[in-house]
Order: sequence, then structure tokens, then C-alpha cells
Amino acid sequence: MTARGLRRLTAAALCALTMAVALWSQRDVGLARDELVYMGAGDGYARWWIDAVDDWGAATSKAKITAAFGGPGPTDHNREHPPLMKTLFGFSKRLLHDRLEVASPTTAYRAPSALLHGILIAIVFLWAAAVWGFAEGLIAALLTLALPRALFHAGLAAFDGPIATLWVATLYCYWRALASWRWAPIAGVVWGLALATKHNAFLVPLVIAPHFVWVVAADAVTRARAAPGRGVAALGRALWARLYLPPALIVLGPLTLFALWPWLWLDPIDHVRAWLEFHLRHVHYNFEYLGDNWNHPPFPWHVALVTTALTVPAATLAAAALGLGVRVRGWWSTPAAARAGDPALLLALSVAASMGPFFLGSTPIFGAEKHWEAAIPSLCVAAGIGVVWAARRAAAGLGERWSTVRAGVLEVAAIAVVGGAVVASAGAETLHARPYALTSYNAVAGGAPGGADLGMNRQFWGYAARGVLAFLASQPPGRVYSHDASPAWGAYQRDRLLPPGRGDAGPEDAGVAASRYALVIHERHFNRHDYMIWASYGTVAPVFVLRHDGVPIVSVYRRPAR
Amino acid sequence: MPPLVARFARLAPAIALCLLAAWSAVRTVGAGRRVPDDDAWAAAATRVRAALTGGELIVFAPAWIEPVGRLHLGDRLDLAAAGRLDAARFATIWELSIRGARAPETRGLTAAESFTIGGVTARRYRQRAAVVVTDFAARLTEASITGERARGPTAVLAEVGFTPRRCVQVVPQPDREVGLTFRDVELGTELAIGVGLADVFTRRDVRNPGELAVAVDGVELARWRFGVDDGWTVRTVVTRPGRGTVTFTARAVGLGASNRLVCFAAEARR
Repeated sequence: MTARGLRRLTAAALCALTMAVALWSQRDVGLARDELVYMGAGDGYARWWIDAVDDWGAATSKAKITAAFGGPGPTDHNREHPPLMKTLFGFSKRLLHDRLEVASPTTAYRAPSALLHGILIAIVFLWAAAVWGFAEGLIAALLTLALPRALFHAGLAAFDGPIATLWVATLYCYWRALASWRWAPIAGVVWGLALATKHNAFLVPLVIAPHFVWVVAADAVTRARAAPGRGVAALGRALWARLYLPPALIVLGPLTLFALWPWLWLDPIDHVRAWLEFHLRHVHYNFEYLGDNWNHPPFPWHVALVTTALTVPAATLAAAALGLGVRVRGWWSTPAAARAGDPALLLALSVAASMGPFFLGSTPIFGAEKHWEAAIPSLCVAAGIGVVWAARRAAAGLGERWSTVRAGVLEVAAIAVVGGAVVASAGAETLHARPYALTSYNAVAGGAPGGADLGMNRQFWGYAARGVLAFLASQPPGRVYSHDASPAWGAYQRDRLLPPGRGDAGPEDAGVAASRYALVIHERHFNRHDYMIWASYGTVAPVFVLRHDGVPIVSVYRRPAR
Repeated sequence: MPPLVARFARLAPAIALCLLAAWSAVRTVGAGRRVPDDDAWAAAATRVRAALTGGELIVFAPAWIEPVGRLHLGDRLDLAAAGRLDAARFATIWELSIRGARAPETRGLTAAESFTIGGVTARRYRQRAAVVVTDFAARLTEASITGERARGPTAVLAEVGFTPRRCVQVVPQPDREVGLTFRDVELGTELAIGVGLADVFTRRDVRNPGELAVAVDGVELARWRFGVDDGWTVRTVVTRPGRGTVTFTARAVGLGASNRLVCFAAEARR
């Protein structure tokens, strides 16, 4: 088998492995509040596309498009988010659950995210292996898979995992297009898919534009050195050699978005403006960070750095620091012409553009690492480089001592040991974090309890309520104040995770008053729900407290008998 | 560089990564073992329960473990104690803590008794308890109300600064004030007042502060502002024992100060 063939086979295997892990991992993960919205919208979008195939003229009427994709309200049919993933969720549910009956409704909705995560891992491998070597690529890919938070998001019917994939995929295609014009239209379309997934994709030009300028400038300098005195001509030639790239991105990206989002067909400018305005004026959700509840700017400038330092496995971070050092040192010793093919700068710009908005102090910080998840594969690539560098260095050191052992054998063994240790460590942490990965923190923080000591956010989206359903099922029937899990309650009953007689009692005070059981999903700003329940039930004592590594995440109260 | 040192320098990054990987896995996967389990809590609670005579305050530290503490001892913590103005009226405070944490209520006190079971440390503190002669929140129905109010006043258990507070909650109209006058009430040597803005969402959406003034027999003794990030602030003013008229004046500061849920509790103490 050729090296290229081996790389492709490995990428396919990694993709399949990742999908399997993500689908297995999500089985115990409760339904996140937003997922229910996206699932519902996705059902409608998929139905519309099927209708459109049957009768294009009727489906594309203003009334039909509005009924499926829009409406007068800013959140009607979830029109504040582009449709790609929701459409895939809807089709996936129809195929895997309704038709093939191979998955539960929840798993079927979530499968496209798992597939996209598989593609991310494959791209990380292919990219790093092509540039730095097979071992570097394999370790980078496995470390990207062994991220507790990223794996969590990869198992949700939401956009944060998929946008990370499509962000990295766009950069990969762009990088390939620098050497071959055939990749340019692919890069444009993939960026369009990213735009059709989440608005983060609007930041991609902040990565590509400066990199493109740098590549052109570096090429111009090389050409000018070869032909002194013809600097302008050199710049022109350097630009001309890649002039196919900007139009491909600028034209095909928005066109792809437009083609996939029928809501834009009705009034493109107004509907794009409404979409972006929604996010520019997004409400600031409550989020705990270093002991304070944040819901109003200015936010701390260091949120992205600290949160990354406390959530990415510590060994991965250390290896990334090593790899970064190796690349920075290698950068200056690389000839300028060779640097153009080196994606290190592109990956660094990816980190900067992905995390950059969170240094402004005005960007909402809720959701934390999921909003800059596209940055993390860059760290993992650096970690792959760092691990292999350390292993090769060790092999060289051992080779001096054990001169009878072949250098290649020593090197493979060293990479296996060091890479295995770092990947196994991150993997153990990732497995341990599930299904409550948003409560988990890394060794730097001291694990989940260390994160709680530091006053880091406990969780969000109400998904942890899944963990108390078995307790509720063991209790006598009664209506439940389901708190932040109320959007998921019907789905839990549909999936038979709750026996009959434990319906949702409704929201706020009236819901508490009508309930026999009450849940509080612990986030600092949710403390008020405890107090509402205390006042209604006349007791401060829960009957069950769900914990992850000893850290309370959901309390259940039972109304005392009168 | 000597050969041995040079060889070690070559091996050092790999060894460091392997050691860090091992430490990282052990520290995260084993993190739960550094938090006491239900057996430890049950054992500590049983021993504390045996020493309770009634009227003690029970607190937990760090704050994030409180749900577990209430799971085991919540039946010995009533709503009045949970929503207290402060801890001054309790002669005995039991603090159950883990991971070396301390509760703010026991700051400056010396433990009279202490034991640790399975990582749960229980400490009993004694202090000279303040005697409450008038609890104003409990006597809200006797107050006469003046001024321009949007809602209230009502006696509620509210969230102020993410803590429970049993208080009088009133919402003045923007840039207006509401007076609550309690006539012929018993006063002690001091008047303790706690106040803050209730409800995290209105604190987020409206950033104006609130203000509270306290007057006894027509003489203003204190006035202070409290903002959206100030939580529950407690002040104490000196009073002359006897009977008197006390007026609390709550103000929503600024024309944009809608939905200022001013939440206050006050106790005349001796």
C-alpha cells in the first residue's frame, strides 16, 4: 500500500471510530434544551425538502417557505440559526428511526453531529500527517477525539461540534487550494456549508485573508530575490498564481448558504440582516466564571484562555506547548519558500480568530469552550508535533546507549510509549467525564470538584436531568417541576425513561405549586429555584442529589406529606 | 555537557510528558475520591444531630456542597434560619465542611468542638447571640405604606446575591420611593438591616441601583445605595432601647430604574 493509501485508510478508520465513540457516548447524555428546538425545526425543514422534490412550485411559495423556515417573530421556526444541521437532523431521524428503525429518535437526530465529528478527526489526521508525518497526524487526531467537552458536543443535535468541523474543513480545503486550483471551489462550498451551520463561520475570512496576504507576500519576496529590481512584477505574479482563490470563496460560500436556506430566497438582505442582528444583540445568559455570575459586559478578557487551560486535558496542553515551541523554532530555520506550504501560521490564525472575540469583553461568554471549539484542533495538532518531537529526542538519546537496537525500532517504540501515555491519559479523562462533561475540569483545575472550588460553570442546557429520571421512576407517581429540563420532558416520556404519571407540572411558581416533585439543575443563577421550592414545600431538604465526582448537579425535592 | 546529563536532557521532555499524563489521569479520574461520600456525610450528620438541642444554625462549606449538606441535615434547618438576615441571633453554629473550606458565618469565631469523619469536618461554634425584640419582616402587615410603588410590599423568600433571604420585597416606581412605617415597635440597642436587589434576571436587564433609608422617630439614621453586583449588604445602627416609630424608605434610583425588587430585612436587637 502506498503512503497516501495508508493515510486515506487510516483517516477512514478514524472517522468510523469517532462516529462510533460519539454515538456510544451520547446514549446517557440527557437532552439539551436547545436540541429540542433544533430537532423540531429540523423535522419541518426535512419535510419541506421532501415536499419540494414532489412539487417544487407549490413548496417554494412564500407561504410554504415561511411556514417551514420563518415567520414574523425573530425566533419563528428557529430562523435565527441557519438550516444545514437542522435539516440533516430531520432527515437523519426520518431515515435511521422512522424508516430503518436502527436508532432511537434521539440518537437518530444526533447522528449527523457524530458524522461531522468523525470528519473532523479524519481531517486533523490527514492534514497533520501530510505536513508533519503519520505519527504526528495520528496522535493529533486521537487527542482531538480525546477532548471531554468536544466529544460531548459531538453527541448533541446542535451546531457547536459541526461548526468546528466545517471551520477546520474550510481551512484545510483552502490550504489545499493554495497548491491546486481544483480545491478552490471545494473550499468555497465548504465555507458555504459552514455559513449554513452557524454564524461563527463569518470569522473564517479573518483567518484566511491575512494568511493569503502572507502567502502572496512571501512568494513575491522569493520571486523578487530571484529577479532583483522587479518587486511589483513579482507581487503581481505571486497574486496571479492564486487569483482563483478569493472569487471561489467569495462567490461560492454565500451561494451555498443561499441555496441551502430557502428562508433567504424570499428576502435575502432583510433575512440575513435579521439573522445577524439577532446574534449581535444576543441576550447575555448567566454564566459562572471564577466565582462570579456573569450576565452583563464587560466580561473578563481571559475567559477563553483560562477556560481552555482548565478543560483541555493537561497532558494535551503540555504537549501542545512543546509542539508550539518546536514549530516556532523550526519556523525561523525554514526557508521562506518552504514556509508557504506550512499550515502552522494558518492554524495559529485559526486559534486567534476563534478565540479573539472573547478578548473584547463584550462578546457573551455563555457556552464557554463550545464557542471557540474550532481553535482546539490546532492545539491538538501542536500536541501531536510535541509528542513526536519528545519521543524522537528520547529515542536518539537511548540510541546512544543501546546502539545494537535499530534506530527506527527505538523511534517507533518511543512514539508508541509517549504518544500512548498522552493519548491514554486524555482518553481516560474523556471517558470519565461522560455523561456530565460540562461539569468536568482537567487536572490543572483538580477535576470536577476543583472546578467547583474555582467557581467555574457547573453546566448548562439542563441536560443533566437525565440522571435523576431513574430516581423519579422509583418514586410514587406525581407531577414534576422539571425546571430547565421542561423542554425535554415530553421526549423523556416518549423514550420511556419515565413511567406514566410523572408529567411536567409547568413553569415557575405555579409549576412548583402544582408539583409533587421538584428538580433544581444546579447553576449559580438557578439558586432561586431552590428557594421557590423551599417556600412551597416548606422544607430545604432534597431527597436526592445527583453528583458528578461528588459535585452536586441536580437536586430532587419531594413535597412532604401533610 | 557531561554525556549522562546530555542523555538525560534528551530524555527529559518524553519523561515529563509521560509523568504529566499519568498525574493528569490519576488526578481527574480520582477527583471524586477527594469528595466525601454519603456514608461520611451520614456519619457526620448523625453525630451532629445527637448534639442538637434546637435553635442552632447549621451551615455548609464550600457553598457548592450545600445541597448534599441539606440532603443529610436539611430537616434541622428551617426556612427562617435558611433565609436569615445574618448569623448574629444564633448562639450555636454548626459548620460542616469539606476540602478545608470555611463558611463566612463562622469567620472570626473559634471552634468549641470539632471532629472529622471521612473527610467531613464538623465544627461547633459558640457566640453571644443577639436577642431579636422586633422582626420587621414578620410584622409587615402592621406597616403603613406611602409613596409610589409598582408592586408590593410582600414578605417573601427571595434570591438576593444568589443567597436565600426572607425579606420585605417592594418595587418602587422608577426614581420614586416607598415608605414603610412601623409605629410603636420595641427597639433594642441596635437595628440590623440587610438589603439587596432580588432576582438575577431583573438585575441583569436593569442596572440601576436601589437605595434604602432608615429613620427612627423621624430622625434618619442611615441611607445607602446597593447595586446589581453588591448582593446582600448588612448594616447595623445604634438605637435607644424603648418603643419608637421606624420608617424604611426604599428608592429605585434613576428614571430607568424599573423592576428594582428592593428586598430588605430588619431586626431590632439587644
